[in-house]
This record gives sequence, C-alpha cells and structure tokens, in this order.
Amino acid sequence: MERRRLIQSTAAMTAAAVLPAPFSAFAQAARALCYNCPTEWADWGGMLKLVNQKLNISVPPDNKNSGQSMAALIAEKNNPVADITYLGGQFGPQAREAGVLSPYKPQRWNEIPDGFKDKDGFWFTIHSGTLGLFVNTAALRGKPVPRSWQDLTNPTYKGMIGYLNPASAAVGQVGVVAVNLALGGNYENFDPAIRFFKNLQANSPIVPTQTSYARVISGEIPILLDYDFNAYRGQHTDKAPVQFVIPSEGTVSLPYIMGLVNKGPNADNGRKVLDFVLSDEGQRHWANAYLRPVFASAMSAEARSRFLPDSEYKRTQAVDVFKLASAAKVIADRYQKEVG
Amino acid sequence: MQVPVKKQRRSPLFWAQLAFTLAVCAFLIVPVFMSMTAGVTLNYMTGVSGGLTTQWVEKVLTDYRGPIFLSLQLALACLVCTLLLGIPAAYVLAKRQNAFTRAIEELLVMPVAVPGIATALALIVTYGSSGGFRTSWIFILVGHVLFTLPFMVRSVLAVMSSIDLKTLEEGARSLGANFSQRFFGIVLPNCRSGIMAGSLMVVTLSLGEFNMTLLLHTPLTQTLPVGLADTYASLRLEVGSAYTLVFFVIIVPLLIALQWASNAISQRKRI
Amino acid sequence: MRERIQLAALMTPVAILFVAFFLLPLAQLVAIGGSGKLGWSAYLAVFTETRYLKSFSATIALSVAVTIFTLLVSGIAGVFLERNRFRGRTLLTAMLTLPLAFPGVVIGFMVIMLAGRQGLVPDITDLLFGERLVFAYSMAGLFMGYIYFSIPRTILTVMAAAEKLDPRLEEAARSLGANSFMVVRDVILPALKPAFLAAGAICFATSMGAFGTAFTLATRINVVPMVIYTEFTLQANVAMAAALSFVLGGITWAALAFARSLSGSSVAASG
Repeated sequence: MERRRLIQSTAAMTAAAVLPAPFSAFAQAARALCYNCPTEWADWGGMLKLVNQKLNISVPPDNKNSGQSMAALIAEKNNPVADITYLGGQFGPQAREAGVLSPYKPQRWNEIPDGFKDKDGFWFTIHSGTLGLFVNTAALRGKPVPRSWQDLTNPTYKGMIGYLNPASAAVGQVGVVAVNLALGGNYENFDPAIRFFKNLQANSPIVPTQTSYARVISGEIPILLDYDFNAYRGQHTDKAPVQFVIPSEGTVSLPYIMGLVNKGPNADNGRKVLDFVLSDEGQRHWANAYLRPVFASAMSAEARSRFLPDSEYKRTQAVDVFKLASAAKVIADRYQKEVG
Repeated sequence: MQVPVKKQRRSPLFWAQLAFTLAVCAFLIVPVFMSMTAGVTLNYMTGVSGGLTTQWVEKVLTDYRGPIFLSLQLALACLVCTLLLGIPAAYVLAKRQNAFTRAIEELLVMPVAVPGIATALALIVTYGSSGGFRTSWIFILVGHVLFTLPFMVRSVLAVMSSIDLKTLEEGARSLGANFSQRFFGIVLPNCRSGIMAGSLMVVTLSLGEFNMTLLLHTPLTQTLPVGLADTYASLRLEVGSAYTLVFFVIIVPLLIALQWASNAISQRKRI
Repeated sequence: MRERIQLAALMTPVAILFVAFFLLPLAQLVAIGGSGKLGWSAYLAVFTETRYLKSFSATIALSVAVTIFTLLVSGIAGVFLERNRFRGRTLLTAMLTLPLAFPGVVIGFMVIMLAGRQGLVPDITDLLFGERLVFAYSMAGLFMGYIYFSIPRTILTVMAAAEKLDPRLEEAARSLGANSFMVVRDVILPALKPAFLAAGAICFATSMGAFGTAFTLATRINVVPMVIYTEFTLQANVAMAAALSFVLGGITWAALAFARSLSGSSVAASG
C-alpha cells in the first residue's frame, strides 16, 4: 500500500542518515585536536603522520588560518574543542590576553631564545619562515625577476603582483612589516609601508585573503609576497619553475608559535605533541619542510642546501612579535583607510 | 493541458532565442569542463598536451574520503529532516491563511535573508560551550536544515495551493477516511512533483553549502566544500580541480536522477 | 476544534527547531552585537563609518545589478525552453541547473579559469587583439561569478511560471492585431510578474549574502559578508561582526518582504 511504502522508505532513509560516518578512524587511537595544522602548510601533513607513528596519537589536520583559529578558540572558550594550536607569532600575545591558552613549558624550554617565547610559558616558537618574493619565472613571460621591493612598483609588472590582504591575513601583516622595516620605518611609524602599498596600487595588484600557493604554481599570480618555505616547496617538491627572492632592501622572518589550549579535552596528549615538535626528530622534520627550526642545530647540511645561501639571509631580521601584536590593529586600520 | 502544436517552420526569432540559450549554457558549462579537465592533466599550465594522469583524483579520494562521505550523509539527513518538518508545515500553511501563518512564512524565510556566516556565528555563541553537540555533525546539520527548509516548504506549498485541497479532502472525509488516511493517501500523492522539486533543491543546496559550514565545522567534521576550498588555496590547482571533478561525478547523476524522477511524476499527472 | 489542534501539532516541530536554533541564537547575537567596545552604538557605526557604508553600497549595487541582469537572461532563456520542444531540451535544462550545487569557492575559481591571467578569455583576446584582457579580479569578474550562481536559481522559477501561461490569451492578443513585441510586453510579462518578483527576491538575497565567490576572487571590492568575516576572524571583533550581520540581514529581509508585498501573495505560492 502507498502509505506503508512511504513509511518504510522514510525509515530506511532515516536509518541511513544517522549511521555514523566512516570518517571515525581517528576515534580509535589516542587523540589530540589541533587548530591550524593544515596538511600542506609547513608540511604539517608529514608531521601529523610522524606524531601518529611515534606517539600513537592521531591528530586530524585542520585548515584554519591563524585568524580563524583565534576566533574559534575565543568562541569556544568555555568548552574548547581543540587541545593545541599553531599560530603566527603575533597571535601569541593576543591569545594569551584572550585567555585561551594555558602555560606549558615543554622539554628544552630553556634552549629557546628569549623573544621567541612567552616568559610564563603560554606559547613558544617552533620554527620560522622568511618573507620575500615567491616568483613563478615562467609566468613572467620573459620579464626580469624582480630583486627589490622598489622593483615591484615598476609598471612592467602590472597585474602580476599579489600580496595577502593585511587586514584579513596574518602573512599580509608581516608583508607590511617587512616593507616598513626595509624602507626605514619602525613598529610605531608605518608611513613608509603605507606609502609603498599606495604606490603599488598603480600596478593593479591581486589581493587575496587566503593562502595562494596554488595560484603561483599555476602562474595565475607570477609574483607573490609569501614565505620562503612555500617557495622552496614549489621549487623542490612540486618542481615548478619558481624561485624565492630576498629583496635587496631587507626583509623579516616570522616565528611561528604553538601553545596548549586552556581546558582542552585531551590536554595530556596535547602536551606530548608539543614536546614532540620541539624534539630533535620534530625539528629535523621542519628543516626538511624548508622551515628554520628554532633549534638551528637541527638543520642538516642537506636541508640547508635547499635554502638560498646564508649571505642572502643576512638581510633579514626576526619580527618582534610583541611589538607586532600591539601594532596589528593599527596596520589593519591604516591599510583599510588609506590604501583600501 | 497541451494545445496541439502543428509542425511549423522555425522563425528567425526561434533561432535567435536558441542561440542565446545555448550561449548561456556555454557560459555555465564550459568552465565546468575546463575544471574537470584540469583535474586529470599532469600540469595545468601545459594542459592536456602535457599528459593525463589519475594521480590527483587518487590523492583526493585517499585524503578526503571522510569529508566526501560526511557531505553525502549530511545531504541525506537534511533531506529527511526537511521532508519530516517541511511537508506538514506546508500543509498547515496551505490550509490556513491568517496573520499567524503569514508570520510563520516570514520566519521560515529568515535563514535565507540572514547571511550564512551570521547564522553560524549565532549558533556558535549560543551552543559553543556544549561540547558534545558542538563537535558533532548534527551541529552542521542544524544549520543546513534551517537554510534549506524554506525551499522545501515553498515548493510543496506551491503545489498544494494549486490543487483543490479542500474538495479532495472533503471528498475523502465524506467517504470515511480519517486524518492520516487523508494525509498519506490523498494529500501527499498529489504533491509529489512539489516534493521532488523541493528534494532536488535541498540535496543540491546542502551538498554545496559553504558559508555556514566554514564556521560550524571542526577538524573531525569537515565537509566536501570546505575541503574543496582548502585544496584550491593551499594545494596545486590540479588537486583542487580533481576534487571538483569528484564532486561533479557524485552530484551530476544525483541531479539528473532527481530531475528525471520529477519529470516522470509531472508527466504522469498530465493524463 | 480538533482540526486546529491537528494543524498546531503539525507545525510544532518546525516551531521548536526555529525557536531553539534560530531565534534564541539570533537574540544572543543581537546582545553580543551591543556588548563590544562600542556598545550599542556599534549598530550606528555600521551606518556612519565610511568603510562600512562603502561596503554596503557596493554590495547592494552589485546585488541589484546581478538581479536585473539575471532576470533578463533567465526570462528569455526560461520562457524559450518552456515553450519549445526540440531535441536536447531536457539536457539543456539539466545543464542550466547544474551550477546550483557549486559552492562559491568553485565558482570563484571558474571565473579565474575564464578570465584570470591564464584564463580562456585573455587567451582569445590575445589571439585576436594581441592583448590579454584579464578581468577576473575586478568588479566585472565578481559580477560574472554572481551571475553564474544566480541564473540556475531563477530559471527554474521562471520555467515553472511559463508552464502555467495560458496560450489562449496570446492567441487572443494576436488575433486582435498585436505584434510579438506587444504580446511580450502586455501579455507575457505581466503574467510572469509574480515569478519574476519571487525569483528576483531570492536572487537578491543570495547575492547579498554570498561569501565564497568574493572570498576567492581577490577584489578590492569588499562585499559585506567579507567584512563580517574579516571582523570576526582577524580582529576577533564578534560584536562588530554581529552588528553588520544584522544590518545585512535586515536589508535583505526587507527586500524580500517588499517583493512579497508587490506580488500580492506569499513567496511560496509563486513557486
């Protein structure tokens, strides 16, 4: 009868709908949840596999960026979902202030240089990356590779330049800082940077709000202000016609930090993972993923050979994450008001 | 009822309109093909001439199996919920038109008017602290149901309004049918086309929902569109395209099947 | 009356869903909107700060333009498809509704495939004119993306309404001496008005709240959903994000209500 069939099919559909998803492999092993551990960024994919192998803890990847992680952590403050988080350095002080982290000093805490960790243990650096020009030489179609920040204002590169929006992406902020310090400004005076980006608008730049690695590799954005580790990944892993350029006026490197989430559901596992990322093995993995591990000795000669020579890196200085944390809003506001 | 159309020579106006319609179709479909092709090329820049490969599709199917299944599960669950909630609601709205029911209609439409991000924000600030609920896929389901319900109700209500419910039900009642016999035996079968059309919309919208899900998901409850956005950003374009290809392969048969079903039903009605 | 109780019972599940998961959370969000650094004047700041004003005017202008253009295109193509029978008609219809499922991110990337630096259109213009016309990252690209997801949404509504058009009215008009243009203007368009209003309202609402496409296309035009997202994720400024969401939701909802009042009946009945 019509009605019986209807009820039967509804029941069947309901049953099918509430069956748990096959995606519960992660539920078996011990677990820790990380905010902002994206598979392809800094080869977190490889790191998470290592963690699973060596510690028997499964950490599913998460593709939030620093800003989204902060927002999620704050919204979930009373009943956190994540156990650990990975953030751009300038978010460390902000996360502490927002009360979403709890202090944990991992093994080897004392070896981390001051300025690269919160003095009370709320967060610490695991590795850093240097900002520069991520260039797809084939997509330049014969034009010379730019060598300095000023080169970017050359009309020959019209439509070819991209940088992440400083008002909505952490790496965008770092780009502003890099240009600012290179052109003579400091953390209190951002005039040089604002002036630079204003002039840059004449070259019709593309201003994405999220990671644009794919767009450089495909040639859509031939010149992107991005980190060296992304460029090296494109060059050595994906074998794309790309190279990294450290502008002649100088640039900055940003420390990336991790911290234990306050009242996370699997805090013990979280602590184990935090220890691991600072261990020899963990640090070696970062070096092989083209990042500068916070313990420089972990970088093998082979890993170093894939970077640009040290002489190039002499022009870089580490971002003062505390100063950047206070200046972040100023940068965002000024950029939005004056450059738009 | 169809007025018999005699075979006539197509006017120039016909051809112009056909050309226009074909242009619109091309605009919609060509990028889809381009994207699908990119998913099987070795290198996007060299294109098809550079060689074909299945490695990207394989990568997607291994790395993102979870999100793909979760999206399908969500779409199915969303459909069941909107059917169970929406059809009775449409029935009530069809039978009574007063200030109260008008208010309900306004209410139903609100999740479409309010931006998806806002609805997600609202859910997070209210239920963000309820650990279990927050981290389960049901949290995302709630958002999907809120957003797709008006489309189901709209579709079913449109059909219910066009048939003469009152007469049909009166007739059945006078023959001794009780409420559930009337509802399942008379009302529902006559709304089949509306239910099918509504189902099509609901499944489609749920599979592609991104705005809300971006904020509602956790690392354990990632859906297909969210994974897709991530691959487009951080991986090679070929992987993103392969992911899109997988998405199409799943959804196109689904859409076609639902369209055929709704065509079949509406044709059967035209006796 | 027993029937009233039955109807109320049928409506209860929907009511519970809405109160628990939509009204309550939204009320919470309103409160949060007024609890930030600016207090309740955050809502006023939405109208006074230039950045937000610019964003709102850009978003509204874009949505209106998209709606008008889409109705035009859907009107022509939809009526054509409904009234003419030819081989491949079902296939064309299916192709036109396929993009309904695509998340905005995919559409953004398809726009890039068509009109980005390495896109199809620049390749063609390069061949024809020796210069690459890249417009994916300008208002034109955004517009194209919005049209892409709007056409499928409107064309089904138009086709459904075109199905109900009475050919006898047109015949009568023609027999009284009206030419094709007058028939369209005086017979077809007025009959389709409710459908256009309903479809246009949904189109406007979707465009106002669209996020994924703008998220992907790196334009300097900051549509309101992007501003909301930025306020939430970079500034952790939930209060401002909430305030903006409500104003956006309010504008959209007002537009929907206006369209409903013009058509004289509920959005639902127009299918």
